[in-house]
Parts: sequence; structure tokens; C-alpha cells
Amino acid sequence: MVQATGPASSAADLALIRIPVHRHPVLRFLTELRRHRMALFGAVVTLTLMLFGFLAPWLATHDYARQNLLEAFQPPLRPDHLLGTDQIGRDIWSRLVYGLRTSLLVGFGVTLIALIAGTVIGTMAGYLGGWADTVLSGAVEIIWGFPLILLAVILTGAMGPGLPAVVIAVGVINSAGFARIIRGEVLALRYREFVQAARAVGATDLALIVRHILPNAMAPTLVMGSYYVALAIIAEAGLSFIGLGAQPPLPSLGTMIADGRNYLLHDHWISTIPGVTIVLLVLGLNLLGDGLRDILDPRLRER
Amino acid sequence: MVEYLARRTARTLVILVLASVAVFYSLRFAPGDPSGVALSPLALEEIRQAYRERLGLNKPIYLQYFTYLGHLAHGNLGQSLINGKPIGELFLYHGRNSLILGLAALALSYVIGIPLGILAAAHRNRPLDHAVMGFGALGMGIPNFWLALLLVYLFSVKLKWLPSAGCCSPKYLIMPAVVLAAEGTAVTMRMMRSSMLEQINQDFVRTHRAYGLPEWKVLLFALRNALIPIVSLTGLRLGWLIGYTLIVETIFNWPGVGYLLVESVLRRDYPVAQFFSLVLVLAVVLSSWLADILYGVVDPRIRYARV
Repeated sequence: MVQATGPASSAADLALIRIPVHRHPVLRFLTELRRHRMALFGAVVTLTLMLFGFLAPWLATHDYARQNLLEAFQPPLRPDHLLGTDQIGRDIWSRLVYGLRTSLLVGFGVTLIALIAGTVIGTMAGYLGGWADTVLSGAVEIIWGFPLILLAVILTGAMGPGLPAVVIAVGVINSAGFARIIRGEVLALRYREFVQAARAVGATDLALIVRHILPNAMAPTLVMGSYYVALAIIAEAGLSFIGLGAQPPLPSLGTMIADGRNYLLHDHWISTIPGVTIVLLVLGLNLLGDGLRDILDPRLRER
Repeated sequence: MVEYLARRTARTLVILVLASVAVFYSLRFAPGDPSGVALSPLALEEIRQAYRERLGLNKPIYLQYFTYLGHLAHGNLGQSLINGKPIGELFLYHGRNSLILGLAALALSYVIGIPLGILAAAHRNRPLDHAVMGFGALGMGIPNFWLALLLVYLFSVKLKWLPSAGCCSPKYLIMPAVVLAAEGTAVTMRMMRSSMLEQINQDFVRTHRAYGLPEWKVLLFALRNALIPIVSLTGLRLGWLIGYTLIVETIFNWPGVGYLLVESVLRRDYPVAQFFSLVLVLAVVLSSWLADILYGVVDPRIRYARV
């Protein structure tokens, strides 16, 4: 995550330490984040929506699945329904926070697991080299280019409609994506002087990887990670929108948007509220990704 | 060039075989079996058994795979369990529609994305650049199904200019093509901009400028090299496009391959789902092969490199 400090510094990096930025790396990162306005905006939006999602059971005012036809089509800002109700009288606010939770579980939860799997595969391929690399990176290249949505639909054919197919598709493709990045970083780092120096003083392979190589591979991984989360969230919502992802009564932002598609003319909020939410979430993640790239990896900065 | 071509083609063939086996196996693990769709729920177990035997579903999966390949080779594609239509006929009709939609979207994304990217690069860090890049961020941030809904609301519900769904005249094509092109346009634009900026700072461009060439001619020289990353991205873009057709065709009821695959998966129409899964996987693999070839054609460094 941070290149110029910590035990894993090369000779060139050591020279940089003379610049008086000798604070904790996390603090320095936060200072830079505050200066980068777009990234800060992305981070605030993403964190707020994450908070809503994770606190869903406490924030929801109604049972997200309870229907009440007498109270259908209530516009937002009613005393007992903050964001109104949908076409069968379910409380939109309660569905929104639970829908966010679904998106975040598929987006963040699965991408986190994929990060672990991808790190293991990528490190093995990059560090071991030889035929292990040929086999692993060959498989990774094939899977990585494959469209997420097509894989999810084929898996749905095999497993039936529902989130598991989406989760597996996101997990497999994001793992391949992470493995690809990590492998490249490991290849670039393993012969650098600081790694060789650590080896010379007797560090084991595992220590080399965990203490010296992986921390330096974190920057590009985190940057791509935020884009992968956004892609996963879009894919889940899109599949739910066409009826393949989350199955009723579980709310998902995609199914909520689809619920309102026949009532756009008079009761547009049924679709608009989840629609604006997902645009905010994806925009926040993309801005955060661009910002992380600028802050953590200045080499990649777009001019 | 020949060696490069041969290597890429061999790789593609290996991927094709592996992918088709994977698709075939995964659909064989589907819960329930085709007899549940085709026969009455009251059908006796003996009848179900006979039905499975007739379709060869009681044999080992690898034998079924070869039998299936044999059928394919003889042009015997089977028929839909739902409406009995021959799959070959479905393929011709839906394949044609998907091709029209996909090509329209691809063309649209390049026709809009490339000039806007060049424009943004030429006006770097000025209002026009910011406007174009903002538009790009929006194009990448808006999920396509949400964009679809917004367009339907504006052009079908409010203005009543365009039909909200269906097929098959240019009027029906406009909205699905725009939605399908949106993300690709944004990606192309950003790529074009940064790749142009990279070229503009090169020595050969500075030399052209120093010779007093008009600015548009200078840009033209930079453009040739700047297009290489765009071409190399084509394969990946085609893959995404194929993925997104599944959603866009379903939203707009555009009767293409994606629509058919989603429908058949939802209705458990196994022969159709299997055939069109294979078709789309084939399309993805072939488009990445095509992009590799194109890449080799435009960039001699790739052609001769040992990869």
C-alpha cells in the first residue's frame, strides 16, 4: 500500500525518506485523500451507503417483504413510510437498505473472497514460475476475459435462478482478475534489490512473499478492487433486474427498479429511488478507484 | 506473422474444446431434468425413464458430449422443449437480430467515442475536456438497465417517439443500440484521450509541429499510433458486449440470442439453453481470437515478439 516507508524499502526509496513525511502511512494516505476532492467524495458516498447496508436490520422501519395493498403507491415523505411504498404496498425505505445489503454482500463480500483466492493463485504463478505459471496464468487469462454476465446466466442454467449463480460467477472472474494483477506485481518485485537483500539475510520464501512482496503489490490491487466491486454490483443488479439474480422476497436494487418499470408515468419513485441509489454507489466506487490510483500509484495517473 | 497466427489459433482451439466441455457438464448438473419440462407432472416414472433413454440422458456425460457433437456435425440441432421450434431456425433468426444489434452498438461506440476522445485530448484540461470526461464518467457509472429505463421513460412514455420494446425496424433498434453502446463509448473515449495524450508528447509529433504542419495534420500522425490500444481493446469489448446483450435484449424484448438464452434458462428449455450457451461462448472466444489477429496486424512489435 505504501511504497516509500516500512521495512521493504529499496535503496532508491530510502533516499526519499529524508523528505519530512515521516508519519504513519495510514495517516499520510488520509491526508492525501482529503486533498483529492473527487476521491473524498467517492469515499464518503461509498462509506455512507455501506453503513446503510450493514445497519439494515436496525434502520428498516418495516418488514421488507410485508405487502399491504391498501397502502400501495404512496409517494415518498409520508409519516409512516419515509420513501413511500411500491406497487404492492411494501415500504421502500426498508427494502432499499436491505437491497443495498444484497448489493454490498455480492459486491464487497465476494470480491474480498476473490481477493484472497486471487492472491494465492497469482503469487504461486508469479513466484514458482515454470510450468505452474504456464498452467495457472493460462487458466487465468481465459477466465479473466470472459463476460461476467454470460457466465452467470450459464450457471443459472445449471443451478436455477438465484444469487448463488451470481456469487460464483463474480467470485471466479474477480479471482482471475486479482490473480492476473498479483502475478504481474510478483514478477516485477521478486528480483528487486530489497527482496534479494531480505533473501540474503535468510528470509524464508513465505516471509519474502508475505512481508516484502505482497505489501508492495497492494496498491494496484486495491485500485482494481474498487472497480471490480462496482462491476460486481452492476452485474448483480442487472441480473436481478431481468429476473435471474435475487429471487423474491429478498430485495435487491435491481429487482426494485424492475418492480416500478410499469408505473413510470405516475409513480416513478418506485424505480427512481433504487435507480439513483445504485448510480450513486457505482459512481462513488469509480471515483474512489480513480482517487486511489492517483494517491497510491502515481505512475498510473492519467495526465 | 504465420507463427503468431498459428500459435493464437492453436490456443483458441484448446480454449474452445475446454469451454464447450465445461458448458456441457455444468448444464448436465441442472436441478430437475428435461422430462420435468416436456412431460406432464403426472407422467409415470416409467414414461420419464423411457423419455430420458430416448434423449440418451442415462448414458455417461462424456458419451453424451460426443453424441451431441456428432449431432451438431450433422446439422441436427434438436428442438425447443417449449414450442417445438427447430433450434437451427431459432439460431438463424435470433443470430441475425443479435448481429444487427451488436454491430450497431459497436459502430456507434467507435463513431462517437473516438472523435470525442481526440477532441478531449486536443483541448486537454479545458472546459470541453472536462465536459467530455464528465460525460464519460457518467457513461461508465450508469448501469445499462437503468439507462434503458430512463430512455424508455423519456422517449416512449413521455414523448411517444420510439416504441419501448420489440423488433424489427430501425425505430426499434435505436434505444437498445444506444444503451448497449453507452459503456463502450465511455471506455473508448477515455482510452482514446489518454492514448492521444501519450502520443502528443512524443518526439516525432513535436518534430511535425516544429516543421509547421497545421495542427490537424499533426493530430493525424499521432492518431495512427494512438489507435493501437483501441484495437487491442476490441476483443475484451466484444466480450463485454456479448455479456451485456443478455440484459439489453431482455429489457427491450429484442429477439436476439441473448434474449433467447435468458428465456430458455428461466423456462428450463435445456436443449435451447445448451446450444445458445455454446454459441455465445464460441462468439466470445472467437472475438478474442479476432482481436489478437487484428492487434498483430496493426502493431508489428506484437507480431514478431515471442509471447
